[in-house]
Amino acid sequence: MSAAPVWPAVELDPVARLRALASSMPWVSLEEAVIAAPFARVWSFIDDMERGVPQFERNVRRIEILSRDGDRLALRSFGPGGLTMRLDAVLRPGWCVMRGALGELGMAAAPAGPGATRFAHFEGSRRLGRVARPLFRYFVRRDLARLAALATSDGKGTSPS
Amino acid sequence: MSQSFRRASNQQGEAGRAEVPGEPSAPSPPLPGVQLSAEAEDELVRSAQRGDALALSALVDRLAPFVGRICGPIALEHGEDAAQEALIAVLRDLPTLREPRALYGWARRIAAREAVRHARAARRSLPLAGGGRELPAPGDPALARDVRSVLEALTPDQRAILVLRDLEGLSEREAAALLQVEEGTVKSRLSRARSAFRGRWTS
Repeated sequence: MSAAPVWPAVELDPVARLRALASSMPWVSLEEAVIAAPFARVWSFIDDMERGVPQFERNVRRIEILSRDGDRLALRSFGPGGLTMRLDAVLRPGWCVMRGALGELGMAAAPAGPGATRFAHFEGSRRLGRVARPLFRYFVRRDLARLAALATSDGKGTSPS
Repeated sequence: MSQSFRRASNQQGEAGRAEVPGEPSAPSPPLPGVQLSAEAEDELVRSAQRGDALALSALVDRLAPFVGRICGPIALEHGEDAAQEALIAVLRDLPTLREPRALYGWARRIAAREAVRHARAARRSLPLAGGGRELPAPGDPALARDVRSVLEALTPDQRAILVLRDLEGLSEREAAALLQVEEGTVKSRLSRARSAFRGRWTS
């Protein structure tokens, strides 16, 4: 019986992949953090999108899943001031990328040792271009800090699961 | 392929709310693992070049394992760094790619060069073993063992030529062009790499 050779291939984790993806979108702002909470706990806020994401994305009051096809989602987000936006997204464990008419958003997570999670998050708008990056940097940092606080708190009344 | 590229439909906003108009011409990228026609693959690359986030996501799904397969055996313990930088270089420079069908050849070149660069910088080069025996043929049960420890004994240049010839299946001419060396250099490096590889296997 012949077996395939075991060449030592490398598998990039979702955070590394998101970093690379963001490099192709010079209008987005990406931030990374290590959150002192297990991967399952951190990702539960993204995975349960309708209940989880509005808890830390301050520009999202509510999210509604319009349809789901495997890891593809069609969403509608309800923002401040009554603004609604249709979004298309890919969502799977450790990986979420969204595309809307006004902007793009990405989140990725990977375990970073016992009880810790490396998390990457970007936001930006191709339409607004690089000039809006400082604004998105502010949003991303603010939302990332909020997610870290939620994931590391006792979570009573805040966990989406 | 209609299953791969469905047109996104516009949704009507709720009464009394301002709905940001969607992008009716933006296609949905293919599902993971779906084999695309050449035309659909071209369209995916073009969408990614325009900065479509979901097309880029689908392209990352395809390119990450591709560069990881090349960088791992060449750069070994630095393979992750090499693969990360190769993937960043490919995606960052994607808008400059003129012909979508050249994507994987171009990505292979970038990955191999990044891997060799990282391996050289790490000074992983070790002296060659002698001998003139052949590398086990593909499918040889000897290769089922972990080849990593054997690859560690080779220089980065030798690992690169082994990966390009014996794993990626490039011709000597293609490998020479990719590594920017003479064809004769590829031949001699390959011969020495295979000898060293076999020497380590059987020692």
